[in-house]
Amino acid sequence: MSAAPDVRLSLPARAEGVAVVRQALAGLADALDFDPAVLADMKMAVSEACTNVVVHAYGEREGNLDVEMLVDEPGLTIVVRDQGSGIDRDAPRSDDVPALGLGLPLIAALSDAFELRGERGQGTEVRMTFRYSRDGDPAQERPVQGGVGKDGRWDPEAARGTTTP
Amino acid sequence: MDANPIVLDDAAEDVVVVVVEGEHDIYTAPTLRERLDEALARGGGVVIDLSTATFVDSSVLGALLDARRRALEAEQGFVVCIGESVEPGVQRILDVTGLVPVLPVVNGRDAAIDAVRATGNGAGE
Repeated sequence: MSAAPDVRLSLPARAEGVAVVRQALAGLADALDFDPAVLADMKMAVSEACTNVVVHAYGEREGNLDVEMLVDEPGLTIVVRDQGSGIDRDAPRSDDVPALGLGLPLIAALSDAFELRGERGQGTEVRMTFRYSRDGDPAQERPVQGGVGKDGRWDPEAARGTTTP
Repeated sequence: MDANPIVLDDAAEDVVVVVVEGEHDIYTAPTLRERLDEALARGGGVVIDLSTATFVDSSVLGALLDARRRALEAEQGFVVCIGESVEPGVQRILDVTGLVPVLPVVNGRDAAIDAVRATGNGAGE
């Protein structure tokens, strides 16, 4: 495979940093000659992972958004990591968070392999792999579940599409 | 100069068009929400034109869905449009989330304006 270098980024976990990560990814993927459709999936999935860090990881505290892009034989693996509050599986859904709750389902649907690590208080790591060539569409194999609920927000339990208000 | 502008176009008079250009994510979503607020405050139909957008993420979809909900509550028409040639970074998220019929999304700004007017919810209706 190409001699494109691995990439490591560490930047403040702020909203303006997400586009910086996308630009770095686009440059690397271009060097690796990825299909534009796969690049679009990579940019989307990485943006969602970085957004989760910006929105959820540190609360009011400052913290870092760490990203690694690892070039390997089957494809490109991208790791998005924080040292924040970690995954609280019991946390209630907040109406104050400007997110749709679609981030992880999108990452799962758009990547060829996906792993989420972390527990409460121990930070979070999202690891996703995109293959150089695909046999099929991962979004067909792992479609995004849910739809728009009656409150107008994403509801994982809702039928695909929407409930008419 | 803003590389990713979001501007209101009221050339259609009874329908205001929110033109979203370039890449948009969690950083620009607050600006999009402001523009959508401005558009809805005019009281007529609203079209969101994504034909010159190159990337939108779930933060943008969240802003669009919130605006759609408020438009429905206020009985204002609300339609999203894309162009003939759609960037993968826009088409893909609409497809995988199944939101094309929900928002709804149509091809072309003129068709979107017509669709808003057909709901009977343009300004002055």
